[in-house]
Parts: sequence; C-alpha cells; structure tokens
Amino acid sequence: MQAMVVIKMKTKRGQLKIQQMTIMLLAVTLFFVLAGMLVLVTQVSSLKAKSTIIQSDNAKLLVSKISDSPEFSCGSSFGTDMGSCVDADKVFNLKNLISEYGNGNFWGVEGLQIRKIYPDNNQTECTSSNFPNCDVITLIPGNGTGVSNFVSLCGEYNLNGQIFSRCDLAKVIVSYTGS
Amino acid sequence: MIKNKRAQEEMVGFALIIIIVSVILLVFLGFFLTRPNTQNVQSYEVENFVQSMLQSSTQCQDFYGYISVQDLISMCSSEALCSDDEDSCAVLSSTLTGILNNSWAIEQGSKYKGYVLNITSSNGEVSVITAGNITSNSEGTSQELPSKEGVSMGLLFNVYY
Repeated sequence: MQAMVVIKMKTKRGQLKIQQMTIMLLAVTLFFVLAGMLVLVTQVSSLKAKSTIIQSDNAKLLVSKISDSPEFSCGSSFGTDMGSCVDADKVFNLKNLISEYGNGNFWGVEGLQIRKIYPDNNQTECTSSNFPNCDVITLIPGNGTGVSNFVSLCGEYNLNGQIFSRCDLAKVIVSYTGS
Repeated sequence: MIKNKRAQEEMVGFALIIIIVSVILLVFLGFFLTRPNTQNVQSYEVENFVQSMLQSSTQCQDFYGYISVQDLISMCSSEALCSDDEDSCAVLSSTLTGILNNSWAIEQGSKYKGYVLNITSSNGEVSVITAGNITSNSEGTSQELPSKEGVSMGLLFNVYY
C-alpha cells in the first residue's frame, strides 16, 4: 500500500514537471510569435515609404546619368567631347517622338523636363525656331516630385545667316510619383 | 524537494536570460532596419554643376563664336580682351555671378546657406566669388583646368548647407 502511494506521488510530480515545461515552451513560442508579428507589422507599414524612397533613388540615378545617354548626349558635336551635355536638336527630335518612348515608361518616370538656369528668358517654352531665346523643354509633362541635376544645354542657331553654337547652364528635372 | 525548487528557479532564470537577450537583439535589429539613409545625394549635383558651368557660353566672343567659361578663365588669367574690347575678367565675373545666383539660391528658408568659388592660376588669384555663410556641412569639388601657355589653373567650389 505504502509502495503504491510513493509511485503515485512520483507520477504526479513528473506530470507537474511536464506541465511546467509545456507552459514554459508555450510562453517562449508565444513571445517569439508576438515579436515576429511586431516586426512584420512595422515592415509592412513602412512599405509605402520604402517604395517612395526606391522611386526617389531611381530618379536620382536616372537624372545623374541621363545626359550621357545617346538620346540626349552632345558627344563631340560641338567641337570637343563634352560630358554632362544635352544636345538641344536631339531633344527637339525626341520630343516629337516621345510617344514611341511610352511617354515616360521607357525611363519609368512621371515627368521629364529641361530647364535653362542661366541666362533666363521668362520661362518661355523652347521650340527649334525660338532656341536659344527660351527656357524650358518639356518632354513629358508631369506633376510628381522632382529631382534635378545640372547639364549644359547646347545647340546651334542661325543669326543673320551665320551659324553659331551656344551652351547654356540648365537642369534636367525628373519627376516621380510619391512625396 | 529543496533540490527540485532550486532546479526550477534555475530554469526560470535561464528562460529570463533568453528573453532579455532576445529583446535586446530585436531592439538592435529594429534600430538597424529603420536607420535612415545618410548617404549624401548632392555630390553628383556639385560635380555636374562645375562641369556644366565650365562648358557654358559667355557673352565674350572671338573669331569662332561665343567663348566658354573655361576658355574665358584662361583669357582672364592672361589679361586678354574679348573681340569687342571688353575686359575678359569683367565678363567672367558677371557670368559667374549670374550663374551662381540662379543655381544656388541663398535666401531665407533655402537649403543652401552659402557657397565659395575660387579660381586660381600659377600667376595668382583669377576670381573669387562668395555668398552666404560658411557652415560645417558642405559639399564641394575641385578641378584642375587645362594649362595654357605654361600657366596652370585650378578651380575649387564648395556649397554649404
């Protein structure tokens, strides 16, 4: 009888230990699940901000390189090989063919504009006939957030039957959606 | 019984240590993931500005047409005149002032607080243009200009924000 009581007590103590361990394991698992959920919620909530940052970074990368792309670069058209230089004639042709570039889908941007900084001419829109007495070439009209970079806007024009070439300081402005 | 209790206390202590270490790790992880991007994005802007500025045409002309800022710097350094007998240094100064004023607006609420443009040659100072205040945050670039007639020239430009 006494032996039976001892065995029963030992079994009860063993069950208690198993219960304690189970509760402990459950608590630790619950803690990690909650912590994981917290991290997940934080990450998901910042997705929109991250998307804007990625778009902004892409726009900055594009704006820093676009003047050297074949659609814009001067190459050696104006005497020497020029970097950070945009050929106005190429830009006017590109403006006429912009629908073939998916109106911005080619570069993945909302808007694309070249704005002369100095000398300024009252924000007049440029055409091949009024260049260089103008300020803005709007390739893709857009209202997003703008990122800009300096370039030389170079072009040739006819003055009293003489052909002159001229470079002016300008900014390439790339806009993207987001704030 | 006492031995069992001590073992349980040790287990609880161990679990507590694991939890505390996990919390610290999570805090560090969270801090690392949400750390703002401190990379300065203006460096390309300043470098491109200097390059584009040097390529810009001025009002000074020679037989071939409008002279660029870069050529006007060497003309000013050798005290040469434009085709209409205008002083090359005066044209250079007015062109650079206009370009800088229009490019880096130093005004109330502007992110730019000041700038310094220093053009020197082996003969001495060619042009120094400053505006606004010098602060501890700056972005700048220096460029060596092609030497002409044995005169070496350099340009240093700093923007303060």
